[in-house]
Amino acid sequence: MSTLLTFISVTDGKIKRSSLEVLSRCNELAAEHGLKSAALIISDKASEASEEVKAYGPDEIYTIEDPIFKNHINAPLLKALSSAIEQVKPQLVAFASTESSKDILGALAANRNAPALADVSEFELTDNGVKAKRPVMASKIISAVEAKGSPVLLTVRSGSYDVAESSSDASVEAISFSFDDADLKATLKEIIGAAGDKIDLSEAQTVIAAGRGVKDEEGLKMIDELASVLNAGIGASRALTESGVYDPSLQIGQTGKVVSPQLYIGIGISGAIQHVAGMINSKVIVAINKDPDAPIFEIADYGIVGDLYKVLPPFIEELKKVKNN
Amino acid sequence: MKIYVCIKQVPDVNAPLQIKDGELIQDADRNILNAYDASAVEESLVLKEAHGIEIEVVLIGPEKAKETLRKALAMGADKGTHIISDELVNPDSFVYAQLLAAFFKDKEYDFIFCGKQAQDTDAGLTGSMLAEFLNLPYATNAVGLSLDGSTLTVKRQGDAGQEIIELPSPGLVTCSNDMNEPRIPNLKGIMQSKRKPVDMISAADLGIDITEEQIKTRVLSFEEKPAREAGKKYEGEPDEIARKVAQLLDTKENVI
Amino acid sequence: MDEKFDCIIVGAGVAGLAAAMTLARNNMKFLLIEKGEFPGSKNVSGGVLWGSDLAKLVPNYWEEDGGWDRFINHRRLTFMDDQSAFSVDFKSSHFNEPPYTGVVVLRSKFDRWLADKVQEAIDESDYAMDSFIAPNILVEEVLMENGKATGIRTGDEKFYADSVIIAEGVNNLLTRQVGLQNKYVPADHILTGIKEIIRFDQEVLENRFQLRGKSGMSNEFVGFATDGVEGGGFLYTNQDTLSLGLVLGLKDLREKGKEPYEILNTFKKHPVIADAIHGGEVVEYSAHVVSSGDKRVMPEKLYLPGLLVCGEAANLLMNAGKAIQGMDYAIRSGIIAAEAIINAKKAEDFGETSMKKYQDSLNDSYVMKDINNFQDAVHLLHDPVMTQKMPNLICDFGRNFFSIKNEPTQKARKMFGKSVKKHSSYLELMKLGWKGSRAL
Ligand SMILES: Cc1cc2nc3c(=O)[nH]c(=O)nc-3n(C[C@H](O)[C@H](O)[C@H](O)COP(=O)(O)OP(=O)(O)OC[C@H]3O[C@@H](n4cnc5c(N)ncnc54)[C@H](O)[C@@H]3O)c2cc1C
Ligand SMILES: Cc1cc2nc3c(=O)[nH]c(=O)nc-3n(C[C@H](O)[C@H](O)[C@H](O)COP(=O)(O)OP(=O)(O)OC[C@H]3O[C@@H](n4cnc5c(N)ncnc54)[C@H](O)[C@@H]3O)c2cc1C
Ligand SMILES: Nc1ncnc2c1ncn2[C@@H]1O[C@H](COP(=O)(O)O)[C@@H](O)[C@H]1O
Repeated sequence: MSTLLTFISVTDGKIKRSSLEVLSRCNELAAEHGLKSAALIISDKASEASEEVKAYGPDEIYTIEDPIFKNHINAPLLKALSSAIEQVKPQLVAFASTESSKDILGALAANRNAPALADVSEFELTDNGVKAKRPVMASKIISAVEAKGSPVLLTVRSGSYDVAESSSDASVEAISFSFDDADLKATLKEIIGAAGDKIDLSEAQTVIAAGRGVKDEEGLKMIDELASVLNAGIGASRALTESGVYDPSLQIGQTGKVVSPQLYIGIGISGAIQHVAGMINSKVIVAINKDPDAPIFEIADYGIVGDLYKVLPPFIEELKKVKNN
Repeated sequence: MKIYVCIKQVPDVNAPLQIKDGELIQDADRNILNAYDASAVEESLVLKEAHGIEIEVVLIGPEKAKETLRKALAMGADKGTHIISDELVNPDSFVYAQLLAAFFKDKEYDFIFCGKQAQDTDAGLTGSMLAEFLNLPYATNAVGLSLDGSTLTVKRQGDAGQEIIELPSPGLVTCSNDMNEPRIPNLKGIMQSKRKPVDMISAADLGIDITEEQIKTRVLSFEEKPAREAGKKYEGEPDEIARKVAQLLDTKENVI
Repeated sequence: MDEKFDCIIVGAGVAGLAAAMTLARNNMKFLLIEKGEFPGSKNVSGGVLWGSDLAKLVPNYWEEDGGWDRFINHRRLTFMDDQSAFSVDFKSSHFNEPPYTGVVVLRSKFDRWLADKVQEAIDESDYAMDSFIAPNILVEEVLMENGKATGIRTGDEKFYADSVIIAEGVNNLLTRQVGLQNKYVPADHILTGIKEIIRFDQEVLENRFQLRGKSGMSNEFVGFATDGVEGGGFLYTNQDTLSLGLVLGLKDLREKGKEPYEILNTFKKHPVIADAIHGGEVVEYSAHVVSSGDKRVMPEKLYLPGLLVCGEAANLLMNAGKAIQGMDYAIRSGIIAAEAIINAKKAEDFGETSMKKYQDSLNDSYVMKDINNFQDAVHLLHDPVMTQKMPNLICDFGRNFFSIKNEPTQKARKMFGKSVKKHSSYLELMKLGWKGSRAL
């Protein structure tokens, strides 16, 4: 019986929710097509994570555990994935779309002579591969694509599928792996600006995004306050990551992250298509902008036309009231 | 020292487009240098200015794409190779990477720069595919670079933060547009670009014959995105509208 | 490479491209500079290019795909009040054969195509490696030495040439900088043009406007179209889109406190327009200044030693009601300017008298002859009687004339008299008729 293999991303021992979304989708497809759904965990703490993954219903769990996977380094990860594919012989390997999975997707495809689809928003099995949908042209339109071959490799946008819990007594199988440090040509020296315990943007239920309209300390303070009232993740437009006000990891959009929260509040953001590409799938979109013709109002459910410096104080105050009730 | 930069011509996503019977109709004249590749060219030029490196750009594309190659030369690259791709009907990233790999097979270089993704399809595959084909160490999504001797220090935007990676020569880097503001060619640059050498070769010259059936991924059709209706715009007294929307988010949307 | 050019042309609009084509064909070494990302990127006009001068630049141009969509064989002039429209309509198969009398062009495509043609001409000339089309460069200054133009400056780069042709279009900053446009141009001589491109299924468009193959229609509007503001409206059929727009007097707009897009929205709700555009999707919106075609604002002198001004930079444009002519004037003046430069080069004389020959030739051409002859018509179009009372009167008459009410019908003359009294007076009409007959 052929296998659909889902890569489970684990950072600092924490499982990325979006990879559980992908696993849930693969479980569903496996049931439909009479296939096996398996999870693959490659991490320094893979066995710990495997216990947790059982609650999400895979038929099997494969682990590769090695200290080298504490941080993302592409060469060993590639080697590990390659051995896992050789052993499991899956017809599909699906990843949540992250900077790490995007880093290796192409190389893995070249290594396995396999078709790859990046950043899909939907996927379906066919007789000899996969059919999928991908947003293109800065997410202005959707392309329906087909990949033929085995295994098909794909990364899936966060928020594309719901996570379904269903406990299983999946067997856990460790795949043997070794990596000679001497083979490491590129070396990781340091990680800076590590996210720490901040809220992960791509998984946040509420996202506050700040743009060029936020001009000074006072503005930034209001953003922080709003975020803490709503327990929200803070993101930004390129205007503010480029100028160094926010860390580039907080950029939302075509170059940056894709978010799909329940609530997105864009503050002083014009709504350039490249930004919109990263937030259009939010459930409720609120925009605060003083320009009534700003393009963001074309997609906002609630468009507040006004100076953010005048709108935010009463907005925050009212939300505090609501929260306290 | 020598750096190659792989550049692609892409349709301008800001130009009007239309879908008819599943086909995408775009203004064939609105093609531009992929923004991420422009950043890769810019970064190579910054290194060239500091370290005196030779910069060559490589583009696979139809005859008409030569203006994009000229643009990179006008920015300051020293020479170009244009791999004419007319006969390839619908190449995907894999095909481009194969062609590029064939081109680089017998070349000498220190680094290859690519864009992190093509602006129109956002695939982001070619760079790391090429690295694997050429068996090169690589780093993707670079947001900063510096050169020390023959080692490139790459700052890449990762999931956990910014990873600082040391990449020995030869190696490959894919560049984000977050690392710089690409220069706009000046008049001298434009004039000089006309005299810079451009090699024109074909896929056949590279000994590669790709047939439609071999292509692993292809686009079946294009669809409109389900339209997102504009909601209500609130104008007027800031205090009033701010409170009003805050309440609605709670009572009507239930997202607070 | 740093040596001097024969000529530097500023602006790759139709005028600049026409001049460049002429220079390239005559083996001149030149530089054509355009501030837009590519030739045509800054041009919104997209309208009808009248006449056949394009064939002078590119013989048999109609055999290529250069951003023209249709050839005009159907013309209509419409007077409007708030409910009705009374049209003069002319369709002729005479207009169906090359060289066509009017071709609908989309400038963003057309200018690029023409620039490619110029590049081909450069490639075939002796200066294949030494003449350039340079986009994305803003010329900030024309360099002058002892009253003679010697080159241009962009940023901190300077380039030198025997001559400079200014073809910068209606915002003629450089023409002002060199002192040729020194008159104060009052707001009532400036118009603003706004335009929407509305897309249809091609078949729907063709059926709706009775288009076959490449045939096309142009329609001008007077009256309610501009909601009481002086100016007029236009509608052209493109391949699968309509260009719908207005040209409005800036001063009148200001005085009446109206916004162009509001007027355009009202225009679009007029039953006649609503029927024409229903089911279409607006895919582009643009706005641009247009000169009024009033000779009083034209620079008197279009040359200086080593320098010529052509196209709309010289205010060469006419809107006398039946059509906007700007692009054809731009082409002809560009050609004449280039010819003057070619002759000057032969004589190695770029002095005052040599340059003056440009203006002399221009005066002898249809461009200045028409501009001179039709000045009254230009003024007439901005006469409130013409833009408001007349259309109302005509539509009122039309409504009566075409109504059949099962009541005794009045003679047309009587009906007309009533309409005249309601909206105007015979005296006013006679004055207008007098002006009109003189004007046309
Ligand atoms: C290939 C490519 C990829 C890109 N990727 C991304 C990406 O991933 N993410 C991204 O964000 N951008 C991206 N961009 C850039 C994008 O095109 C825009 O330039 C950027 O999003 C603009 O940011 P902004 O809306 O903050 O700034 P602006 O466009 O400058 O908008 C600022 C807005 O703030 C409003 N404003 C100003 N003051 C106030 C005030 N006091 N109160 C209320 N409102 C105010 C203004 O009306 C204006 O609408 C990309 C561009 C390219 C070419
Ligand atoms: C709404 C509208 C409708 C119209 N309809 C018609 C019509 O149906 N038929 C018709 O014949 N005419 C029409 N016109 C008029 C016509 O567009 C102009 O008369 C014509 O474009 C003039 O050509 P030009 O080459 O002189 O100037 P332009 O076409 O304006 O070209 C000037 C070029 O110079 C460039 N430039 C300017 N300054 C600089 C600088 N400093 N450095 C570098 N480059 C510079 C500009 O970017 C531009 O590309 C219309 C105009 C408008 C606004
Ligand atoms: N046709 C091409 N010619 C040259 N380089 C290319 C081509 N296609 C892709 N690339 C390079 O690969 C990068 C990523 O492309 P993609 O995988 O299509 O997103 C681009 O930014 C270029 O650097």
